[in-house]
Formats: sequence, C-alpha cells, structure tokens
Amino acid sequence: MKQSHNAKNFGPRLWRSLRQPLIAVAFGLLVGALVILACGQNPIAVYIEMFNKSFFTPYYLFSTLTRATPIIICAMATGMAWRAGYINIGVEGQMVTGTFVATVCALFIPGPPILAGLLAWIAGMIAGALYALLPAVLTWKFQVSMVITSLMLNYVANYITSYFVTYPLKDTAGDGLALQTPEIHELMRLPRLSTTSTFNAGFLIAVAVMLFMVFITKRTVFGYESKMGGFNPSFARYGGTKQVKVMIITMALSGAIASIAGTAEVFGLKYRYADGMLSSTSYAWTGLMAALIADLNPVGMFFVSIFLSGLQIGGSAIQRSLGIPLEIATIIQCCITLFVSVKLIFKVRQKKPVREDVKEGGAQA
Amino acid sequence: MKHITKVYGSLYANNDVHLTLDKGEILAVVGENGAGKSTLMKILYGLEQPTSGKIYLNGQLQHFRSPHDAINQKIGMVQQHFMLLNPCTVAENIVYGREPRKGLFFDREEAVRVTEALCEKYGLHIDPRRLVGDCPVGLQQRVEILKVLYQDADIIIFDEPSAVLTPQEVNELLRTMRKLAEMGKSIIIITHKLHEVMAVADRVMVMRLGRYIQEMAKTETSIEEMSYLMVGRRIVERQVPPRKPTGRVLEVQDLVLAGSEAKNILDHFSIHVDGGEIVGIAGVSGNGQSELIQCLTGLLQPTSGKVMLKGQDVAGKSVGDIRTAGCACIPEDRYLWGCAARASLTETAIMAHQRSSKISRNGLLNNKGARDFTQSLLDGYDVRNSGQTQKAGELSGGNIQKLIVAREIEQHSPLLIAAEPTRGVDIGAMEFIHNKLLEKREQGDAVLLISSELTEIMSLSDRIYVIYEGRAVGEFRKADATEEDLGILMMGGKLNEAVS
Repeated sequence: MKQSHNAKNFGPRLWRSLRQPLIAVAFGLLVGALVILACGQNPIAVYIEMFNKSFFTPYYLFSTLTRATPIIICAMATGMAWRAGYINIGVEGQMVTGTFVATVCALFIPGPPILAGLLAWIAGMIAGALYALLPAVLTWKFQVSMVITSLMLNYVANYITSYFVTYPLKDTAGDGLALQTPEIHELMRLPRLSTTSTFNAGFLIAVAVMLFMVFITKRTVFGYESKMGGFNPSFARYGGTKQVKVMIITMALSGAIASIAGTAEVFGLKYRYADGMLSSTSYAWTGLMAALIADLNPVGMFFVSIFLSGLQIGGSAIQRSLGIPLEIATIIQCCITLFVSVKLIFKVRQKKPVREDVKEGGAQA
Repeated sequence: MKHITKVYGSLYANNDVHLTLDKGEILAVVGENGAGKSTLMKILYGLEQPTSGKIYLNGQLQHFRSPHDAINQKIGMVQQHFMLLNPCTVAENIVYGREPRKGLFFDREEAVRVTEALCEKYGLHIDPRRLVGDCPVGLQQRVEILKVLYQDADIIIFDEPSAVLTPQEVNELLRTMRKLAEMGKSIIIITHKLHEVMAVADRVMVMRLGRYIQEMAKTETSIEEMSYLMVGRRIVERQVPPRKPTGRVLEVQDLVLAGSEAKNILDHFSIHVDGGEIVGIAGVSGNGQSELIQCLTGLLQPTSGKVMLKGQDVAGKSVGDIRTAGCACIPEDRYLWGCAARASLTETAIMAHQRSSKISRNGLLNNKGARDFTQSLLDGYDVRNSGQTQKAGELSGGNIQKLIVAREIEQHSPLLIAAEPTRGVDIGAMEFIHNKLLEKREQGDAVLLISSELTEIMSLSDRIYVIYEGRAVGEFRKADATEEDLGILMMGGKLNEAVS
C-alpha cells in the first residue's frame, strides 16, 4: 500500500509533465479554429499556411528564431525568480533599463569598439540587476508585495527611457522624427548567422542562457536552496538557508538575464534603442506566458518560447496572405496559457487527499 | 455497513469492510494509521463515497452524498481538528448552520438559551457567552460535542478524540462518552490508544491495511491481543539501559521571548541537557513549546537569555550557524517545516546536508553523492518509496517522518531536538523512531524530546521538565515521575512536595 502507482518509470512521468501543455495547445488551436471559421475561412488550410510560414520554410523559420531570442531570455529571467517563489513580473522594466544603459554605454564609452561593446553588455546586466533589486529590497525591508512593485516599476522604466530618447539622446541624423538613439558601432554588432535573413548570434546567446539556467537549477547548491525556498520557505529556513541572500542573488540574476534579452535585440537586430521597441512587442509577457506553460522548466521554456514566436510570425503571415487578422495568434496564445492554468485547479484537486493525510496523519499514498 | 470498499488509485483504503453498531453501544475502531479507519468513517459521514458496498441505517439502505445527508440521518462527527470559529461565542458556534431566527435576523438570546438547555440535558457545562478562542482545548472539544448533539445526532463518531488532551481531560471525555451511551446515543470512537479502548468501549473492531481483521467484546480481549492484531506481530517491551552522562551539551538560561501582549511567551525558561541522556519536555500544546523550539534552532530571536550549546552562546544566531554549532532538529510539524510536498525525496533528504562534502563542493552539487546519500537514508530507515523522484507529499505520514528523522540523526550532531517525533505515525514507525532516539542517546549525544504525548515522554526520558505558560514548572527524574503529578503541573496546578 505504500507503493505509489505512478512515478515508477520515466515514460509516464514524461507524459505527466507534457500532458497539460499538449492538451492546452490542442484546445488553444481549437478555439483559434472557431474564430477562423467565424471569419469564413477553412481552419485547416489556414493552420497549414500558418505553420508553413513559421516553421517549415527556412526563411520563416529564421524569422521565428530571431523573434524567439528575446522571448526565450525573458522566459529564463521570469523562471529564475519564480522558481524561487519571487513573483517578479517586472522583467520588462529590467530589460528596458538594462538595454538602455547598455546602448548608452555602447554609444559613449571611448576606446576600441569591441572592448567598449563588452563593457556595455556588462553595464547593462548590472543595471538590470540593480533595477530588479529595487522590488527585492522593498520586499525584504518593508514586506511590500513584489508583484505590485515589480509591475509598477515597468512603467517607471518605460517612461524614463522614453524621455531620454525623446530629448537628450535622440538621433538627429536623417529626418530626426523617430524617437531613437543613433546606431551603435559596426564592430559591436553581433554577427549574422544567415545571409538571407536577420537571424543572428543573439540566438546562440539565448541557448547559452538556457544552458546556464539548467546548470544553476541542476548543479548548484544555490539552485537547490532557491528551489526549496520556492516550494516551501519555512522548510528552506528550517534547513538553514540564508533566505535574504538567496532572494538578492535570485533577483539580481533575474534582472541581469532580462537585460541580456533586450541587449541582444539591440546588438543583434536593431543596432539602436528605439522608444517602445521592447514593450510594444510584448517580449517580456510572451516570455512570462512561456514560463507558465512550461512550468518553469528551462528546456521546456526554450521550446515553448519558440512555439509562441512561431505563432506570432505565422499569424502576421496569414494576415498578409489570407486577410485573417493577426490577433488570431494572440487569441491562440492566450487560450493556451489559459488552459495551462487549468493545471493549477488540477493541482489543487490532487492536493486535497494530501491535506486530509495531514489531518488524519494517515498513510494514503 | 456491508462490503465497503474504497479504492484510491491502486490503493485499497478499505477492502470489504463490515461494521455494525447497536443502539447505546460504544464501538472502538482501532488500527494503525493508514489502516483505513478514517476512510471508513468518512464514508459513513458522507465525506467520501465508497467504491462499492452499502450502508444500512435501521434496516434502510442509505446513500450519503455529503455530510449534510448524514447529519439529516442523525449521524454526527467530532473532528480531530476542531471546526470552530474562534472569534465567536460558544453558543454561536453550536447553533451555526441551524441558527434560531427572529424574522430575518439571528436570535442571539435564543441561541444562548438553547445552548444552556443542551448543556443541562447532557450535563456538559460551559458558558455559552464565552469566546471559543479563549477556551482551553478540552472545552473546545466539548463545544464540538455539543454542536453534534444540537444537530440531534444519534450516532456520534469521535475521530482520535484524545490526541490533543491532557490525562485529566481525557478522563473527563471518557466519562462524557459513557454518559452519552447511557442516554441511548451510539458512539464510534477511532483511536490507537488501547488503554482508552479498555476504559470505555463495549466492543472493539480491529482494522489493518484496509481490511477488517476481527471484532470482539472488550471483556474478552486484552491490550496485548489488540496490539498484536493491529500490527500483525508482537511488540516487545523496551529495555532501556541506564544513562551514562557525558557532560553538558545544552544549557538554556533565563530564556525570554516577549509576546505581543504583556505576557511573555517564554518566561525565564531554564533547562539543561547532558550528553547521553534524553530530556523530555511535557506540556499541553500551546504553552510555548513551538516558540521554544524556534528560539533554540534560530528560527526566532529570543528577547533575552542564553542558549549555551557546547559552551558557546548561540542565542539569536542564524539557523545555519546553530546547525553548524551542533544542533539538529526533528520539527514538530513535518509538512510545515520538515519538507516541501513538491520536492523529490532526494531534495528532501539533503536539506541541511547540502553543504557537506558528500553532497557538494564549492557550491556545486554532486548529484551522484546526493542520490547515494538519499538511498542510504531510505534503506537504513526503512522508508517505503517508489524511487527518489517520488514527491515528498506522496509519502505516507509515517514514511516521510522516518525520512526526516533519518536526515536529522545523520547530522551526527551533539544535540538533537526531537519535537513530536511520532505525531500521527503508526505503531511500527513509532517503535522504530523511538529506537533510533535511544541509539542516539547510547552514542553519548543529547536528545531534547518535546512531546504532548505523555506516554512517549515517560517511556523515553531520563529526566522530565514540565512547561506551563512558557515556564519550566517542574523537573523530575524518570523514577520519580508519575502521570498524575505531570498532569497536574501541565494544567498549571501545584504539587505539595517540592520535586526539583
């Protein structure tokens, strides 16, 4: 009676962890199909077109991966904090702050461009980390809700950078109408990985960030302690982990990773910081959705991010070719997230017997 | 109840169980934790639906879909964990769910009157206007009983009713049960305390591993026979060798923890523990034990006082520092402090070991070392599991407790604080954990045992302190301690002769 029937071997466990996202994707596509029907089109044809123009032709696949780059890194930044129990929803603000600082450093640090570029990346990460520490310190010192402070600080970051690109740092070359900084030096730019598209080395950075995340979670004492703190803070405290230290490191890492997301976008794709370039594209929020759908698993977040950006790329493709509104992609994306959240309800239901177990001190496995 | 079977997944919680109850009878259902007693009662009370089987009441077939159905058929249950509203008065709690009304409004005076009548009828006295939160545990239980009586129950189920009570309160409760039976109520009591069964029951039914084993009249059985039937083997009486003290390990001097109100939660609390001895702290829960443990382990900062651990004052230090100084702790609440339900067994087992050289080096985990270490704990402490990736929340109470005990004993620290080490675990696991504590003592280490289970304190401890309202109010040697004296001190009474 003590043997639990599940978790005996790998297959069922893999299925258990994949079941929820797969069902959610199926339901999401189903809801999308209904909307497409309502637009008077054949859903199957539209979906074939959509997936052809996101994953199954090289040019679109490269676009998908390019768009996925900041989303993957934002998902990792979100996951880093959330798995330790710190609900950081200020990844966007940290990304904006870090990226802006990195761009400014790249523009103004004198000396050899490669060295200055490197310094700019580091300065950006430090800025992102410090910006993430703001809500962390408020939580630590004043028990302020991190959800609220980190969310609000997004607006602060957006408006401050908006001011700088509107006035002091605005690029006056050309027509001088766009709210953006001048371009960074050519030698600082990340190399292109394809001759026909904008696919660039930023994607390799995203892969590296994922590997770093896997390393932290699987191989370090810090990863273990932060995970336990996320599961049950009392348990971690009782075991002697220094929780303030864990929180500070966690949030700093989260902010630093967030800054990499935007910096890779500037150094690999746009070569300048433009007003709203990171917020209007919803990178941070798509990354957050990916983190939720993948249940904070680093490899899972990587692939879900690519899938979601594929939906967005495919969505804009069908808008151009079939006249189906781009919002269809957003609908599917949100439905998937919604259906994945159903998992929370499943979990609550599964928890119930455990709770009763506590009550009775009983031995139902 | 006939042929009751309840299946959770692949686990038979109840397997073809029968139960009969006569009017005016007290039936004791005994068995280890996990034997299926609670499940059977939940089915009877409508909290769970049986997978198969039927329930007959006075010859009528019944289908209980919720406790509401059961209450309508005059079945009531006194829960182990009281379902009371602490900020409300006794009367309000009793009438809750079936309030007397005056037009649209709650009739408070009528509620008080009804309660008084109820108290009078059953001879259970309590002030209806008192706030439940102010009542001691024994009285809160009485409120629960009155609530069931107010619902006019003829069959009353008591789920582990004595778990939270002092010996005096238990005696009071047993008298109440007898009285109710004499008034024609039928009573089912679930318990694993066999002397209570002998004191109160008419008939005993034994369950083991979800199965009905046997039932007999109380007069035809003995504690030995029942425990044999419950466990399936004989429990050997424990022989404890005399202690060999090896010098002071822990000395707590004038420990004070100020509360939010004028009264101190811990009030100049002083004790000492030597190596090679088990020192018990007896007391009704809620008299400062939890705070004492948290002050000693660094989870709370004491207001003043000293905690000398191996000659070093660790009061107010961090949990990590105190653990390094030589203190391990089996926490009182295994689900709050002792584990995380979603953590794997490996993750559960290496907590507080994560910086030892076996598990990690320079902050990098040695995953193989962690798995080997975990496996040695699982095997050495007989933790039944389905692999290290199993979640801690999926283990039964006894098994997760064994894993926590293993983890803390394997710290090999000079001091082990064991708080409620066997709360809610079955007899087999309890015996095992007790043996491990005695082994620890044999090795010359100090064990501080904090338990609300008086029999546990009496059978293991070399010395016993009683804690009452945050003070150490008595010190006994094992030979001098009697259950009565301890009980009086636990309730805040005074002994005639000075003991310490």
